[in-house]
Amino acid sequence: MRVIKKSRKNRQPSLLVLFLASFAVHAHASNDFLRNGVMGMVISHIEFALAPNANLASNCPNGMTLNLQEIYANTPAGKRREDETDQEYLKRLSSAGKKLGRSEDGRDFCMHPQLADPEPNFHSVVGSQTAVWGLNLDGRDSAEDFSGVDGESGIDNQWYRTVGCSRSFQPNGMSLSFNIAMLTGSWGIVLEVKGVDDLRNDDQVQVSIYANGDPIRLSPSREPLSYASYSPDTDERYWTTVPGRIEDGVLSSQPADITLRSEVNSMLLERVLRDARVELTLAEDGSASGYLAGYAPVESLYDMLYGYRTGRKFGGELAPLALRSNSANGAAFVLGHTCHGAYQALYANADGHPDSETGQFTSISMQYRIKTLPAFILSASGPDVVTTGVVAAEITRGDAHVNH
Amino acid sequence: MSTTDRRLSSSYHAPMHWVLALVVLFAGLQGCSNDSKELVKEPAAVGGPTLLRRITESQYRSSIATIFGPEVPVVARFERPLRAHGLIAVGTSEAGISPFAMEQYDIAAQGVADFILAPENRASYLPCVPAEGSSIERECASAFIDRYGPLLFRRPLSDEQRERYLGIIESGTAHLGDFYQGLRYALVGMMTAPEFLLRVERAVEDPDRPFLRQLDSYSKAARLSFFLNNTTPDIQLLQAAATGELEDEQGLLKQVDRLLASPNFEFALRAFFRDMLEFELFDDLAKDSEIYPAFNSEVAADAQEQTLRDIIRTLMTENGDYRHIFTLAETDMTRALGVIYRQPVAPRDGWERVPLSADGSRIGIQSHVSFLALHAHPGRSSPTLRGEALRNIFLCQEVPDPPPDVNFSAIQDTSNAAMPTARERLSAHNTEPACAGCHKVMDPVGLALENYDGLGAFRERENNALIDATGFLDGMSYEDAHGLALALETHPETPRCLVEKLYRFGVGRDTVWKERAYMDYLISLFEQAEYRVPALMRIIATSENFFAITPFENEGQDRLWVSTNKRGGIDS
Repeated sequence: MRVIKKSRKNRQPSLLVLFLASFAVHAHASNDFLRNGVMGMVISHIEFALAPNANLASNCPNGMTLNLQEIYANTPAGKRREDETDQEYLKRLSSAGKKLGRSEDGRDFCMHPQLADPEPNFHSVVGSQTAVWGLNLDGRDSAEDFSGVDGESGIDNQWYRTVGCSRSFQPNGMSLSFNIAMLTGSWGIVLEVKGVDDLRNDDQVQVSIYANGDPIRLSPSREPLSYASYSPDTDERYWTTVPGRIEDGVLSSQPADITLRSEVNSMLLERVLRDARVELTLAEDGSASGYLAGYAPVESLYDMLYGYRTGRKFGGELAPLALRSNSANGAAFVLGHTCHGAYQALYANADGHPDSETGQFTSISMQYRIKTLPAFILSASGPDVVTTGVVAAEITRGDAHVNH
Repeated sequence: MSTTDRRLSSSYHAPMHWVLALVVLFAGLQGCSNDSKELVKEPAAVGGPTLLRRITESQYRSSIATIFGPEVPVVARFERPLRAHGLIAVGTSEAGISPFAMEQYDIAAQGVADFILAPENRASYLPCVPAEGSSIERECASAFIDRYGPLLFRRPLSDEQRERYLGIIESGTAHLGDFYQGLRYALVGMMTAPEFLLRVERAVEDPDRPFLRQLDSYSKAARLSFFLNNTTPDIQLLQAAATGELEDEQGLLKQVDRLLASPNFEFALRAFFRDMLEFELFDDLAKDSEIYPAFNSEVAADAQEQTLRDIIRTLMTENGDYRHIFTLAETDMTRALGVIYRQPVAPRDGWERVPLSADGSRIGIQSHVSFLALHAHPGRSSPTLRGEALRNIFLCQEVPDPPPDVNFSAIQDTSNAAMPTARERLSAHNTEPACAGCHKVMDPVGLALENYDGLGAFRERENNALIDATGFLDGMSYEDAHGLALALETHPETPRCLVEKLYRFGVGRDTVWKERAYMDYLISLFEQAEYRVPALMRIIATSENFFAITPFENEGQDRLWVSTNKRGGIDS
């Protein structure tokens, strides 16, 4: 019997083949996700790092946060009249709620939250007795810090404190479903780790975080797929590259300011984290899980999740005021908060980046639990060129330091 | 120069390097070198019966594009094709037309008629656009029938047919109150007539061979056109048929070369390989989304296109050796496919040339998703199905169907820890004497592809057990899929199978024993042409066997011919 050995055909491969082949070394190794020391990832799941077993009675002794209609309903004038139909009562609540949401000169508090008086009906978590998800971002164990779900101390998660008494942030609450927007392709995040010599321990790698320029690729049952190709967003403002390390299979990056995309009601928004870092436990199959954590500037966080003041159309121009205002007020009604209450609570709970003049903290510790799948991250310079990783992304570490 | 010399000497003018290659080949064949192979003479023509061949969906669509233009939409659901003797092309001569199919043909015809007779479009398609009630309506109707009738029926209309459709136009105009409704009525009638939906072959006596007939000129034109362009004969080919040019050796060569140089030649190659590779099975392909989440309709479409693009690039653009399709190291890829191949793909919506794998372990179209996914189960791979398909599709070796009472439990239990890989499960299954015989033929071939799961993604292990991908094929043993690729490339049956299938594809029937000499002749010339497929198709299209018809048979077309002449056409 003739035996065919494993020898390869002696053909001249094209330059393109050689070039691409260099990108595809270890194509069939078990760690297919690591090629030439480059590891691409797409965030396949993202959620706010909150408290998995929160006790509302002890965390929120003052009750749950209210929206404008509920606030009015709790007043003597807001009680339902005997002769009032459901429709009439709801109409009166809505009308009164709108009035409460505006300044005396008629300006919408969602657009101008700084004009409002202190709002007592936006309740934050009291105390730090609840175990939360997250990292110790500043290396300290301060009074307002929480303990972690695994028992560690000093978890910086003032975002949880802010929303822990809001009903839309309770299990199955509507504010927790923003992951769906990512799966529909509205926005996405990809990571690239370069210079990986050892997946268990490598004290010098380079971590890039990009807004994804492509919709996440899903299965017919809407599950994200591994090994899809993605191009970073073409806008360099959404690129960040920082040094990192891998220790005992845990990838961590040094803090840097990052800006990513978000989208609400067809308005483009920005997800900003200062001194942001990733900490991911790498699995053998190339997937990973962990945190994307940092400090969200209060103003930009308010714009992204509450007020939409900076919402832009896809052409880049500011979205119509009616769209921004109606979206913000509608969300406040449905999700059960007030815009100005949220704005005030964010500043009240802020714990990062103090203003150099006033000392007022301008950012709030905020963490996301994320899962990633292996992916191919292509050149950010255009869709027609394959490269082995990051192109000319400057390290954009924030200058501000976190103080307490 | 002999006929065979001319067949090999020039062809298909589009890519210049292609022609140069043939010139070099020709020079070699002229006997300058001692080791040049002697040209063989075409064996005496054998022939087959005349056939009624139903046009395929792709032929229907391309025919409409040829006759009216590519912009004319064809909106219909076509009936599932029938595969016979390994090819749909053969099945077209055995398939009937169901009431559902006629309904769909009617819908398609009405859509075409509505488009070309729409007020904003009619000036582009009609030879004349008379005003309502104009006296020239009769002349215009005649011109309309004379322009489109022969193109649709692939031959001039008989006087009776012509009068019939003119009568339909007049009747339609009178009853519907509009000349263009009359035209529409007649056009839909012609497009649902058997003369359009079926390739009606007619034979004439062969003056040089008293015991043989040959296709008449128009049937020759149709056979040539569908074989080389996968569409109905264009005006030039019909004119060549009308003037007797196709009966002349030079005239035939001229038309064959014109068709080979046509952009439609690619469509013919695509049609043949789509048929050979059984791609119609993708319409029914299902995968367990829990096991293979990357599979979807986009992947199914791209997988077929990937393989066809590689074939077209190799055989037509590069005029390469057919056997090299089994060892191609490069492929065109989309992002949807890249997920399965685990390869980065840059274009968001297009194709990119990439290596099939960097380490060379994955080569050839038999390692494509289009083959691996199609010949596997919904939730697992199948060395047996893949082995059978490799033998059947590429080597023309038929494997008998399994006996009716087979116990598949050992194979299907993929969770059995004692038998983690397909090789072990098949080994247990093959203790059944009734199964072992055929599995010995199929499994060793397919096991070499076990490094690819039921969708075609690479894997080193199954159930954590290292996969043994060794195998053997007709005396050649190998260690993995790469070895299988080389075995397929060098297997003597590989080019023979292609020759047989290509010929069957052209004539629409299975070959008969008496045609073995002709097959050997084609294979010999194919080898001399360095396994260039366009050259082979040229040889086939200019050979006497291609048009030969067995004598004195009472065939379907003859009955139809009598019928249409008696009645002046078939009810439409």
